[in-house]
Amino acid sequence: MENKERKIVDSVDALKKVIARVREAQRKFSTYSQEQVDEIFKAAATAANQARIPLAKMAVEETGMGVVEDKVIKNHYAAEYVYNTYKNVRTCGVLEEDKAYGIKKIAEPVGVIAAVIPTTNPTSTAIFKTLIALKTRNAVIISPHPRAKKCTIAAAKIVLDAAVAAGAPEGIIDWIDVPNIELTNLLMKEADIILATGGPGMVKAAYSSGKPAIGVGPGNTPAVIDESADVVLAVNSIIHSKTFDNGMICASEQSVIVHKNVYDAVKAEFAARGCYFLKEDEIEKVRKTIFVNGALNAQIVGQPAYKIAELAGVKVPVGTKILIGEVDSTDPSEEFAHEKLSPVLAMYKAEDIHDAFEKAERLVANGGYGHTAAIYLDVTTEQAKIDEFASRLKTCRILVNTPSSQGAIGDIYNFKLAPSLTLGCGSWGGNSVSENVGVKHLLNIKTVVERRENMLWFRAPEKIYIKKGCLPVALNELKYVMGKKRAFIVTDSFLYHNGYTKPITDRLDELGIEHTTFFDVLPDPTLSCAKAGAEQMRAFQPDTIIAFGGGSAMDAAKIMWVMYEHPEVDFMDMAMRFMDIRKRVYTFPKMGEKAYFVAIPTSAGTGSEVTPFAVITDEKSGVKYPLADYELLPDMAIIDVDFHMSAPKGLTAAAGIDALTHALEAYVSLMATDFTDGLAKQALQMIFKYLPRAYDNGQTDVEAREKMANAATIAGMAFANAFLGVCHSMAHKLGAFYHLPHGIANALMIEEVIRFNASEAPAKMGTFPQYGYPHALRRYAEIAEALNLGGENDHEKLENLIKAINDLKARVGIKSSIKEYGINEKEFLERLDEMVEQAFDDQCTGTNPRYPLMSEIRQMYLNAYYGKKHFVDEEKPNEADIAGTEDENKVKKAYLRARVGAKRA
Amino acid sequence: MNADRIIAVRNNKTVYRDGERVLKVFDETYSKADVLNEALNQARVEETGLNIPRILEVTVIDGNWTIVSQYIKGKTLARLMEENPDRKDEYLNLFVDLQLEMHSKVCPGLNKLKDKLSHKINETDLPATVRYDLQTRLEAMPKHNKVCHGDFNPSNIVITEDGTPYILDWAHATQGNASADAARTYLLFWLNGDIDGANKYLELFCAKSNTEKEYVQKWMPIVAASQLAKGNAKEREFLCSWINVVDYE
Ligand SMILES: NC(=O)c1ccc[n+]([C@@H]2O[C@H](COP(=O)([O-])OP(=O)(O)OC[C@H]3O[C@@H](n4cnc5c(N)ncnc54)[C@H](O)[C@@H]3O)[C@@H](O)[C@H]2O)c1
Ligand SMILES: Nc1ncnc2c1ncn2[C@@H]1O[C@H](COP(=O)(O)OP(=O)(O)O)[C@@H](O)[C@H]1O
Ligand SMILES: [Fe+2]
Ligand SMILES: [Mg+2]
Repeated sequence: MENKERKIVDSVDALKKVIARVREAQRKFSTYSQEQVDEIFKAAATAANQARIPLAKMAVEETGMGVVEDKVIKNHYAAEYVYNTYKNVRTCGVLEEDKAYGIKKIAEPVGVIAAVIPTTNPTSTAIFKTLIALKTRNAVIISPHPRAKKCTIAAAKIVLDAAVAAGAPEGIIDWIDVPNIELTNLLMKEADIILATGGPGMVKAAYSSGKPAIGVGPGNTPAVIDESADVVLAVNSIIHSKTFDNGMICASEQSVIVHKNVYDAVKAEFAARGCYFLKEDEIEKVRKTIFVNGALNAQIVGQPAYKIAELAGVKVPVGTKILIGEVDSTDPSEEFAHEKLSPVLAMYKAEDIHDAFEKAERLVANGGYGHTAAIYLDVTTEQAKIDEFASRLKTCRILVNTPSSQGAIGDIYNFKLAPSLTLGCGSWGGNSVSENVGVKHLLNIKTVVERRENMLWFRAPEKIYIKKGCLPVALNELKYVMGKKRAFIVTDSFLYHNGYTKPITDRLDELGIEHTTFFDVLPDPTLSCAKAGAEQMRAFQPDTIIAFGGGSAMDAAKIMWVMYEHPEVDFMDMAMRFMDIRKRVYTFPKMGEKAYFVAIPTSAGTGSEVTPFAVITDEKSGVKYPLADYELLPDMAIIDVDFHMSAPKGLTAAAGIDALTHALEAYVSLMATDFTDGLAKQALQMIFKYLPRAYDNGQTDVEAREKMANAATIAGMAFANAFLGVCHSMAHKLGAFYHLPHGIANALMIEEVIRFNASEAPAKMGTFPQYGYPHALRRYAEIAEALNLGGENDHEKLENLIKAINDLKARVGIKSSIKEYGINEKEFLERLDEMVEQAFDDQCTGTNPRYPLMSEIRQMYLNAYYGKKHFVDEEKPNEADIAGTEDENKVKKAYLRARVGAKRA
Repeated sequence: MNADRIIAVRNNKTVYRDGERVLKVFDETYSKADVLNEALNQARVEETGLNIPRILEVTVIDGNWTIVSQYIKGKTLARLMEENPDRKDEYLNLFVDLQLEMHSKVCPGLNKLKDKLSHKINETDLPATVRYDLQTRLEAMPKHNKVCHGDFNPSNIVITEDGTPYILDWAHATQGNASADAARTYLLFWLNGDIDGANKYLELFCAKSNTEKEYVQKWMPIVAASQLAKGNAKEREFLCSWINVVDYE
């Protein structure tokens, strides 16, 4: 085998060669299948297991520390438990895959592991680290401690030989034969990851090597014995643990903190089981023997109790299990308050459990941060104490009624704690891992994610009743199907005082439904108006709300509805902007528990009767907030043209253009779907055809009025699902700043927005998975096609569309600039930046196909103000820039192919 | 040479006074490089502005390398402590203040303390395992760049009649971690048999420099090993008891 010709590693040169060779072996190993790896893992674990006794003997002989029989257990454990836990765990290739979501996780090895092995567990840690490395297709180079190099190397060699015999690449495990600090440092610098177990010096060196390190450090485990504890179990568990391998396990108890009520019993039990309580002067002698200048005397580590006593000049029987010093101070200056790596234990008396916890915390601070703490108590009655202990102690393992040496390494006293001989101490211990280290820490997990499109939806009120004269029929349902008794009507004073609500109230009277009317809604309703309405609702306790009027009355009614059903909600929470309505931070309250919501529009524009939106103005700040949530969707919409006939010209025009903007914005929205596209186009065709007639002969042309009423609701359904865009963002703020009717504000901005969106190379496009590339130009062209506006190419079609819209606006008496609406230039300019920022932050901005920069919004506002020039993009390189170059044709062809492909897609 | 009198005699050097000058004459066993290093250290530290004897020349007198520097008239702090035992606390105070003032200086040209300690550890005849532990410990200690004297003890401080303290003897000066310099001073007190002085010194140093005692103590095995490299057989057992400790695992 290769090992026969292996040269001793005792110099920088030799180590460099080994690293190169091992790297090569690992490269081969990284192509192995899970099956091959599992076979190697099993063979290696079996070989290590078989060698457990000779390795234990070697370790004790070479280091002069510890107990052979206990080291046998450690070796046995490292081989058997680790194998058992990981034998069926996938560590190669695809770990998990979800085809529907398009995500796949793939395990890859890390590469070459530098494994630093301590003197206290020189063989078991070597077995552990080599096994988990093999299971993960990594290579290992071991840096043994000079004091334990023979046995560590022997353990590594046994694992290596078995692995190679089972098919692993030659030399997949290697080591430094003559360790010194220079070689260890070099190894750590060259490896891909460091698994460092050792003293804080070694762990620090690992972390400062610049390579990712999983280093674990010292513990200073306190064991608290509560008055509720089973004293016999507690004391014997501690003895069992503390004497294990002469106290050399890093998780071993270093002190016991005993509740004063059981102190004597605990002491008696320790004494009865062979532990020696040091007398006052003996404590001092032991102190000075085990510590020198605050450092642990190397001579006592892993020695039996009587030997340590002898060194200190104290006579104790040879069979003494533990030397116990009863001390008071937990200060760092108290030697007993530190880790002792030997069967020497400090014992403290606690006044009560809180005193015990405080002492435990202080002891952990003396060099045991992040490691382990133990508590003994009655788990059936004292869960609260466990919780407090767990929350207070900065240790990564909290053991309950468990010997800490055997308990912390996992899978012996609890079967969900991973078996490991490398115990992470978290950030408290300066570690990168807080768990028991296992195979997952030696893998790189690649995540392969395919592009997926967002699920979308189509939602509308459960009932939409249409046709002239349908109102009374629809209202019947309230009584005969739903058994409603109390209706609250929300409307504005004009409609109320002019008797428009009378047909409704009469019908309700006939049906025997009690009702009342709130008629104080003003255009662009305010929060305070909504509050006043909600107040009256609470007094009246309706089971039905009837919103009757334009967008203002319907929106106000929606907010009153929320406040009536959920007086606890905070408006600013509801108004919090979201990027994706599904991921919004705020959960909208459930609506409809108290009242059924009926919306009856009297203007053909907002579509509020079928939308999840409500636009409301905070009168204190003057900010206009579009709220959105499907909870705000009305339950029933009644589209009855009888209520539209009286609308004045101005309202007809403004509302009609509002509806037009809804359809346009929904059509180019990031969230547009086939479902909303059809609705938007249909609405546009109807608006272009019937708005002029409704405008001219609104009082008599029933057909035009009905078509407009329907078109507005159809457009409403489109944008209720596809949402709007930056035209509405800007219109909301323009309307709020200068009290322009909402439809007019939209009319003033729409040309700018179309030109802005139509750019083929926008500064930034909107972010949405289904929005693959900027294509609003094509979308506008599709609208022009649906309207039969003509045009040779998309640019012409766009121009025709813009012209048609401008003509329509002019036809219904809308002016062509903000300035013409009498808005003072100076004021406009002064408040522009504020308005720009608010518009940018409007809820409608997120679904615009082009993500607007604030400077761009500013430009659009300015253009719309003066009405002289229109939005143009900043100059950018384009196809013309490649003209004349050699590969012009090649590029152009490819470009065309791409365009065609994109269009097809 | 017109040496008025001998001020101090050591194993391999003699210090003479010659009017306003002091001649530190090294015998032939002394490495030329060490003499020049000491002279260079002293010249470099002069530039920090600390009160130290100015170096005047480096020469060879009768075949012996000699450093000539300015004579500082006064008494060493060691002598003052001996003469006025009741004022020892006051002197210790001054001693620590002076050391801290020195630590506040930087002197980029000096050798690195860590390198020096690492060499010293390797020079010892300690077992490989112990050297490995010491090297690991040294490796983990923070590396600073403060002026460290390396032999800061009361015999190397001279107080002039007007009370101005001067620091002499820059043979072991380096730049590095001040706590290592303090650990070294602590050890020197011990080696001098002044254990009470050692403890008082350490308390004072820690209090004035706001340093944890444990932090200074971490250096003790390392400075003990570097002292061991001097090969003084009488100190060996004592130094080994300081060296033979473990970093917790
Ligand atoms: N919720 C939404 O989805 C949505 C969408 C767009 C706009 N809006 C909001 O809607 C509001 C604008 O709504 P609007 O354009 O319907 O105007 P409006 O509700 O403010 O009504 C304007 C005026 O017209 C009167 N009026 C309404 N119907 C009438 C009729 N049939 N005959 C005579 N007079 C009538 C009203 O009394 C009122 O004085 C704005 O606050 C806007 O922000 C909401
Ligand atoms: N420049 C000086 N001025 C005054 N006294 C000096 C001077 N240099 C040395 N000495 C005296 O000589 C002693 C030994 O000199 P020093 O340089 O410390 O040599 P060493 O390396 O042997 O300690 C000092 O303790 C001090 O008393
Ligand atoms: Fe609108
Ligand atoms: Mg001197």
